[in-house]
Amino acid sequence: MLKYHMKGYSGYGVAYSPFYDNKLAVASGSNFGLVGNGKLIILDIMPNGQLVESNSFLTQDGLFDLAWNESHENQCLVAQGDGSLRLFDIKLKDYPIAIYKEHQREVFSCNWNMIQKQMFVSSSWDGKVKLWSLMRPQSLMTMSPNDTNAASTLSRTSAVAPVRVPMSNQKEHQHADGNKECIYQATFSPHDPNLVLCSSGNSFISLYDLRVPNNGLPQHQFLGHGGFEALTCDFNKYRPHIIATGGVDKMIKVWDLRMCRKMLSQGHQPININEIQGHELAVRKVTWSPHHSNMLLSTSYDMTCRVWTDLSDDGHGLTGKTNSIDPAHGCRFIFMEHSEFVFGADWSLWGTPGFVASTGWDGQVCIWNGIR
Amino acid sequence: MASRLQQLEKHLTGRSSEKDIKSKNPDDVVVVAAYRSAIGKGFKGGFKDVNTDYLLTQFLKEFFEKVDIDKSVIEEIACGNVLNPGAGATEHRAAMLAAGLPYQTPLVAINRQCSSGLTAVNDVANKIISGQINVGLAIGVESMSKNYGPKALGSISNELKSNTAAAKCMIPMGFTNENVAKKFQISREDQDKFALESFYKAERAVSQGLFKDEIIPIELPDGSIIAQDEGPRKGVTFESLQKIKPAFVKETGVTTAGNASQISDGVAGVLLMRRSMAMKLGLEIVGKYVAFQAVGVPPEIMGVGPAYAIPRVLKDCGLNVNDVDVYEINEAFAGQAIFCVNHLKIDKKKLNPRGGAIALGHPLGCTGARQVATILRELDAGQIGVVSMCIGTGMGAAAVFVKE
Repeated sequence: MLKYHMKGYSGYGVAYSPFYDNKLAVASGSNFGLVGNGKLIILDIMPNGQLVESNSFLTQDGLFDLAWNESHENQCLVAQGDGSLRLFDIKLKDYPIAIYKEHQREVFSCNWNMIQKQMFVSSSWDGKVKLWSLMRPQSLMTMSPNDTNAASTLSRTSAVAPVRVPMSNQKEHQHADGNKECIYQATFSPHDPNLVLCSSGNSFISLYDLRVPNNGLPQHQFLGHGGFEALTCDFNKYRPHIIATGGVDKMIKVWDLRMCRKMLSQGHQPININEIQGHELAVRKVTWSPHHSNMLLSTSYDMTCRVWTDLSDDGHGLTGKTNSIDPAHGCRFIFMEHSEFVFGADWSLWGTPGFVASTGWDGQVCIWNGIR
Repeated sequence: MASRLQQLEKHLTGRSSEKDIKSKNPDDVVVVAAYRSAIGKGFKGGFKDVNTDYLLTQFLKEFFEKVDIDKSVIEEIACGNVLNPGAGATEHRAAMLAAGLPYQTPLVAINRQCSSGLTAVNDVANKIISGQINVGLAIGVESMSKNYGPKALGSISNELKSNTAAAKCMIPMGFTNENVAKKFQISREDQDKFALESFYKAERAVSQGLFKDEIIPIELPDGSIIAQDEGPRKGVTFESLQKIKPAFVKETGVTTAGNASQISDGVAGVLLMRRSMAMKLGLEIVGKYVAFQAVGVPPEIMGVGPAYAIPRVLKDCGLNVNDVDVYEINEAFAGQAIFCVNHLKIDKKKLNPRGGAIALGHPLGCTGARQVATILRELDAGQIGVVSMCIGTGMGAAAVFVKE
């Protein structure tokens, strides 16, 4: 295992470069990302196994996510707490080469389109998901997955489910409503450049097809985590219709979008095809393996990262099983070296399949093998 | 800063969702089919000349005519039975093979007295929950005509007879009901009224054809077909029930042939699987199995079983008595049934809406599975049902289902 300690900064996002097998970028914030500066740190893995900081960029507010430019090996985009997205060139010093500022509150995620490589998407606490082009300072499109008013007027004519949040009426549950506007993550499908998936504090998972204009409302939307905040989502890299989501209910859920579409069109709440229980606190990030169709990685507030096998699929088709039938719930590996909440994690595309980089509030960036 | 900190706090304090029993999850155990035969009158009804293996074979053949499924996906058959030697382990294995099920599918014989059919459902459900199997068939089958008699009660060694606790297990069922009636002051009149209600409800259900969907017709060796319950009869009145002499305690007894369950023959089956499996196979889901519990009660008043088993299983589900929409509580005797209903304060409208064992009959090992087939047709989508019964030697069992 390799380790690097970012002194005074807590990690929120980490990503391997798609161009260099020895480069990582880390998005971090001082004071646990609650207040103060942020820092984008570029780490190089040296031949002797050391992690070395090759460059860093100080920002005025905490950084919560990052994405490498898929069409330029030196460019890295960050999501900043002041509502801006900033593009840095890692060969330069100090200042960003572009700023994209439209969001009204913290930007919590950004994701680069792997097929249409000039596009990226961002999601924010202001309830918006924005589509951007590298060449334009203004966003191309703004999406509002949680727009209750627009959804209720549209729902009569469109397939969009009105946003209903089945929150409890009990007193002690009332405070659970505060973050419901927040869009924690938005991500492109690696199979279709027009599909954007996002997960929201109101527990809904929304799917956009950018070719279908719908007043900023999603084509499909369903309750993902039973009223608990949905903090993360990801497309399977091999099965185009399969997604995973994670949330405050401590669960990772696997969904088949074909079934979701069908059930929504019949007026039913979709049923996930698998659920993975094991984390002791909220699940902060899920990422499918780039090398296996039925393996995924998760991070959690319980200070662990876990590698799971999705037992609902054996690589050939559905098995009719769920992870609850396995004594270990399908868990392949638990990484326990972090001493604080773990936020970011990324699979390495390089070398032997199974290497993972992770980071969290303890300021550590760890590289470890999740498949042994 | 404050809002970011509060956001994190909410991520950490968000309670783990208490499992909403109506939620649909991929690892739920669901019922995809539940059928039964008509219930034959013991010793003189349509099934009096055939044994359980024959009933089971005929039933399974017809069952798989109705249910479109590759039989080889069934990984377990749990067969509840009370009276056959060894709970019918041998002849029911033979029966399933005769019905065309592959030899690769194993069978387990289950006997927990009157709850055997429901215990079989629980056995299969637990194996699905644990991941041991994906699909299983729970059966209950009984021929009281062929196997009920003096030997039915079993025996205990002389050494145990001096032990008062052990000896209580040998009290015939009728006497346990006399004990319940005496201890909780349940009059003959109340019991006959209760029995009359059961006859009325069953008669109404029969005349409205409410059992048609759940009954699989059974063809007898002579070619005749039995497709209707033989227990319910027309023209039962309070007066006619009052005339019947006590069956167990002469003169002062309150338990009669009119207010006790009938001796019967029958078979019922419930096909269970994991929801993800049902979705994969494209099968329609009838209901969701939620929970089961069995409890022990004093053997001399074994009829109180449901009064303790029901709260126990409802507690597991976080439900109150009033949250349940329909109760199928086996009417072994009117006395014990009245006690359970009063003790739990169950709304009478929710109790056995299609009649109970007093009118329909009580083929011991079959009953639990029969009740499941009935309740899943009484419930509307999203409603909660409870199946329960008392168990000889002092036990009670109860299970919770949700209709899809």
